[in-house]
Amino acid sequence: MKDLLKKRWVLYAGVAVVALAVAGALIGVSVTGGSKKKEKSAVTTTATGGSKTTTSPGFAVTGAADTAALFRGIPQKLNVLGNPNAPVTMVEFADLQCPFCREYTLQALPTIVKDYVRTGKVKLVFSGMAFIGPDSEKALRAAYAAGVQNRLWNVIDLLYKNQGGENSGWVSDDLLRAVGTAAALDVGRMMADRQSPSVDNALTATSQQAANAHVNQTPTFFAGRTAGGTLSQVPVTSLTPEPFQQALDALLK
Amino acid sequence: MTDGRLRTAIAVLALAGAAVAAYLVYARYTGTRLACTTGGCETVQHSKYAKAAGVPVAVLGLVAYLAVFGTTLSARIEAAAICAAIVFAGLAFGIYLIVIQVAVIDAICQWCITSDVILALLAIASAERFRRAAAKP
Repeated sequence: MKDLLKKRWVLYAGVAVVALAVAGALIGVSVTGGSKKKEKSAVTTTATGGSKTTTSPGFAVTGAADTAALFRGIPQKLNVLGNPNAPVTMVEFADLQCPFCREYTLQALPTIVKDYVRTGKVKLVFSGMAFIGPDSEKALRAAYAAGVQNRLWNVIDLLYKNQGGENSGWVSDDLLRAVGTAAALDVGRMMADRQSPSVDNALTATSQQAANAHVNQTPTFFAGRTAGGTLSQVPVTSLTPEPFQQALDALLK
Repeated sequence: MTDGRLRTAIAVLALAGAAVAAYLVYARYTGTRLACTTGGCETVQHSKYAKAAGVPVAVLGLVAYLAVFGTTLSARIEAAAICAAIVFAGLAFGIYLIVIQVAVIDAICQWCITSDVILALLAIASAERFRRAAAKP
């Protein structure tokens, strides 16, 4: 052994091999998720009734790349998206099972984010409601739990993109894990935080705000000058960017 | 620089790295908010990449820095070899984590970058230490 250690190339090669092996193992564990909970595979049913198991939970959700690109580089804090000092604030009351909320998110939100949020003019506040049924609350709790990690907007966008039939049980734990993985979250923590007191409080507070604002349908939007304090309901004639552009442009004048 | 001074420099750098890692471990387990000027520390620390095999990366870093410090207590070539292996493995993993922060998580943690700078300095010092030890007859 001592003779071997005297050979310089053996020493250099030994150190390089050990360093590469350790780094490779760490990177491998990091890429694959590591813990057993994260390795749990998502199962999707095929049209023929059979099932295929994906190696990554992220594989089961659609729109992950679009969602990541939409919000990349924009600050998020709990349920707020955008510059905290933006001159205008827009609040959205929505149910994650509501198909019209999905329509708004797919048709209008990307333009609003690109032209108003990314430029620092407007900040968006998500106020989730759970009046459609059990899947609404399950999805909402996961969204607010993602908010603890400042990724609520990624999660709600992915949930809308993967929305299922009302109360069909589409908000499964497998879907939530896959969505959490696609949003680069600590999925175990998000799943645990769903029942945390802070998420309970967020749900109660939002429900109270909706009652105070007399919100009886979703989506409902309120917007106003951030410094002014009072927000007015945005007249929504269609779930396309135009009515929001009009309302926001008027507030920004 | 003498061999003794080189080991002292490595020991000081290892303790500085251990202090950074210990702060991140403390913040993680006590729920303390991190002091952060880049705005992305919480996002990075709470991402799935902040753990490897269920162990927080900060804990792995703390153990590695303390192990590097431990090797400086010996002048033997085996200690220099172990030190270099740990530091270069840590540097490779650190570079991977920088790529993840920029390309995937889209947030930068200043404490991770501080640790990476310490690791880069340690890599230079430990490579020199190992080269000298290997060159001795």
